[in-house]
Amino acid sequence: MSEPSRDSRPAPASRAPEDMPAPGAPEVTGVTGPAPGAPAAGPAGKPQRDSTRTGPGRVLVAVYGLFALSATARAVVQIATKFSHAPVAYLLSALAGVVYVVATVTLAAGGPLARRIAVVAISVELAGVLAVGTWSLADKATFPDATVWSGYGSGYGYVPLVLPVFGLLWLRYWSRRHRRGLTAAARGSERA
Amino acid sequence: MASVNGAVPTTIIVAGLALAAYALLMTALNRRMGLVLLAALGVLEVLLLVLIGLVAARLASGGGRPASLPTLIGYLVAMPLVPLAAGFWGLLERSRWGSAVVAVGGLVAAVLMVRLHEIWPAIHV
Repeated sequence: MSEPSRDSRPAPASRAPEDMPAPGAPEVTGVTGPAPGAPAAGPAGKPQRDSTRTGPGRVLVAVYGLFALSATARAVVQIATKFSHAPVAYLLSALAGVVYVVATVTLAAGGPLARRIAVVAISVELAGVLAVGTWSLADKATFPDATVWSGYGSGYGYVPLVLPVFGLLWLRYWSRRHRRGLTAAARGSERA
Repeated sequence: MASVNGAVPTTIIVAGLALAAYALLMTALNRRMGLVLLAALGVLEVLLLVLIGLVAARLASGGGRPASLPTLIGYLVAMPLVPLAAGFWGLLERSRWGSAVVAVGGLVAAVLMVRLHEIWPAIHV
């Protein structure tokens, strides 16, 4: 839940008066959490801190969680009950399930390391839905039964195709916001 | 009980879609999740529990078997969690996006009814 301590570098806020964000560095307190010694909750007593799981990220985490649950459960049932029927399809279902679980957990965690893992997982997801989508249309014999990614996710309203795009855009927004925050922090400490 | 009447699943589809539309309207109006959406989720939860009871009764009375029993049981276990999860996750977010989470919950409930019918056509829509 909390950011890895590695990232909570001493923000200039630690030198500023308490309850006052450092000038020019409001992003840093939002991204890296309260500076050491600062109260965990803001002045209004609201514990919510912005991260990849807040704002539009709530919807992303919800949809990713849904797919994590359904893809994993489906793969488990398929592999346990009729694996020989369509082994390739079922193994790909399992892979999709694992990728969705990793994406859900890392998006919900939201720290810098989690964001990096999320980029990898969601990139694999995008590559997977494109590759498996094409493969399933070209070679129908290998896919007598559908996977989440068959036909570019047509069985799921193409959500599997759209989801990684939104996920990567959201993560890009966060890496930019994080970088801007660090730059502002550096400028702030030069001035101080 | 001979068959699962179509009235309950159909009501859930209509309720889920209506809830999703209202929640999306709240999102567009920049309103966070409030009591109305919470109450609507409660209604959806009750409807889903009624449906689970009907399907379980049908299974218990030996009125046929679905193509994949584990899948059906998985759906019966997961279904009542949808409004709960949407309500919990939506309440955590104190912005318009909490309402958007509720909209997802409503849509999922509607889609689940269609899936349920595919798994076991005895469950009419």
